Order: sequence, then structure tokens, then C-alpha cells
Amino acid sequence: MYVTELVNNQKHQVKVKRLDEDDYKKIVKTRFYFNWKTEKKHDVYKLVFQDEILGLMSCKHYTDEKRIEIKLLAVAKENRGKSKKYSRVAGTLIGFACREAIKYYGIEGCVSLVPKTSLKKHYSDYYGMIDAGWQLFLAGQPMLDMLKEYEL
Amino acid sequence: MKQTKLNEKYTDKELAESFVFRNKITPTQKAESDMLLSEMRKEIQKSVTPKQQLLSRLLQLKYQIEDYLENSTYDNKRSFGFFLRGYLETLNKKNKEFAKDIGIAQTELSQILNQHRNPSEKVIIRLEIHSNKILPAILWYKLVEKEKEHEILTNIDLRVNEKDHVRNMVTV
Repeated sequence: MYVTELVNNQKHQVKVKRLDEDDYKKIVKTRFYFNWKTEKKHDVYKLVFQDEILGLMSCKHYTDEKRIEIKLLAVAKENRGKSKKYSRVAGTLIGFACREAIKYYGIEGCVSLVPKTSLKKHYSDYYGMIDAGWQLFLAGQPMLDMLKEYEL
Repeated sequence: MKQTKLNEKYTDKELAESFVFRNKITPTQKAESDMLLSEMRKEIQKSVTPKQQLLSRLLQLKYQIEDYLENSTYDNKRSFGFFLRGYLETLNKKNKEFAKDIGIAQTELSQILNQHRNPSEKVIIRLEIHSNKILPAILWYKLVEKEKEHEILTNIDLRVNEKDHVRNMVTV
């Protein structure tokens, strides 16, 4: 899995790891928008390039439903909008949630999120998410497509 | 920055590329939503092909190997042979058939599966080719390396035996 540095179009290999207790000291709202300490009850992951955190994602497992729900996701401030430094950060994190769903639940696994109505179409366009009313989800071939696209 | 300010700064497309926001729905909406999601998932499951099923099982195996390699703990049950057996089970292949697939003798395969022999480079490369690159050679190689690393770190007998062959040891 990689992110692209947009200034020179260079690809950089990245890793997704669980967030450590020490990381919470480094995570500030000005850079990652939300208060991430409230997510400690869930599985929180960081996408890192070398030692730098480029994005965060909080997930909740619904084991009996073979489903992982993305509760929260934010890419670092410098990677948002028109002047972003790296692309593919959010996609790689969502792809990682798909990886975990396949790892734990196989092809029956599913990744879902409850979107803001105004963003629904964009999640579908970008990540191939399927509209299920209040929720969007990835399962079956669209989930496998995410794994291929983000090289997981 | 409040969300209204984010909306002023970024387009919806840019927000979708950067965030998943907290979005609470009422219990009624949740019940309705969960039911719909469940129904739609069932429909998708009905259309899953054997190829997709196989790909997901191979990816499952790949992710298990990756996570084991990422973990610093050594587990002697999770040997190269253990994961290779998992590969054969995923493909529903008998030893004889698989040995033929990768051009080695059945005895060699059996020895690798039972940890009586390390796989050669050619076997590792053939596994990558056989899996259509889903399980890369480097992943298999790192399993061998992890076993070797553990052996070097923990083999006391070897240290005792080899000491007799060493003279003029550095004294500090």
C-alpha cells in the first residue's frame, strides 16, 4: 500500500498500525480535527509514512454480523483539499478496514459507515460503496476491488 | 474548526476524501437501516462466485501470514509448513497433486510440510507463481527467515558445540 506525494508524483510505501497510548499525546485537534481520545473504546488505526501519522480511523467490530463499521476517519490537515501533500490516505485506511473484514470474516465480511447525506454520492463514486439507505457499505466484489486498488 | 467552517473551506468531494464524520441516527432509523443493510448483503452473497470465494480465502491466508510476520513473537506452530498446509487446504489439493503442480517430489513436499526440511528458493518462487502472485515469494521467504532467526537466537547446543572450534576469543 502506498500514498502519492503530489508535488513529484512519487509513491511512498506506508503502513497501517494500531494506535499506541503514546500516540494520543501527538494527536491534536488542529491536525486531526476530532477528539480521538473518545475513540479509545474502538479499534483506532494510524496510517504512517516513516514515523509520520498521515491519517486516523476508528472502527467497531460487529462480530455476529461479520461487519466492521468505520466510526470516524480523518486525514491530517496538510493532506486535505486542493493543496494536499499526499493523496490516497483515506482510501488506504478504508481499504485497510476491508482487509480486516476479509481477514476475520472472509467473503461474507462487510465494511459500513453512516455518511453525512451530502457526502454519500462521493463515497460511492470514490470507493464503490453501495447505498443501503442510512448506511453505505462494501462487500463482495466492491470490497475485493478496494483491496486491489489500494494494494492490500 | 467547526463543521460549517470545513464546509466553507472544502468541497463535498474533498470532505469525502478526507473524513468520515460521526453521524448519529435515531434507534428507529438504525433498526430500519440495519434491516435494509442485512437484506442487501444477502443479495450480494447470493451473487458471490467461486472465483471471488477463492480469492478471499487466499487473501485471508496472506493477511494471516503478514500479521504473524509483523508480530515480534515467535510461534513454533506457525511454521512455513503450517501456512503451506493452509494454502493446500484453501485450494483443496492433495499433497501428490500439489507436488506435481510445482514440480517437486512428493517426499520433498512432505518434508517441508512437516518441518523436516527448509524450502529451497525455487520452491518459494514456484509458490508465488502458483498463487498467481497473491502470495508473493518474499512472504514465504520471511517465514523461513523468522524460523531461522528464532533458531539462531535460542540454539544453546549449537553454541556449546561450536565453542570448541573457536580460538583466540576477543577478551574485553
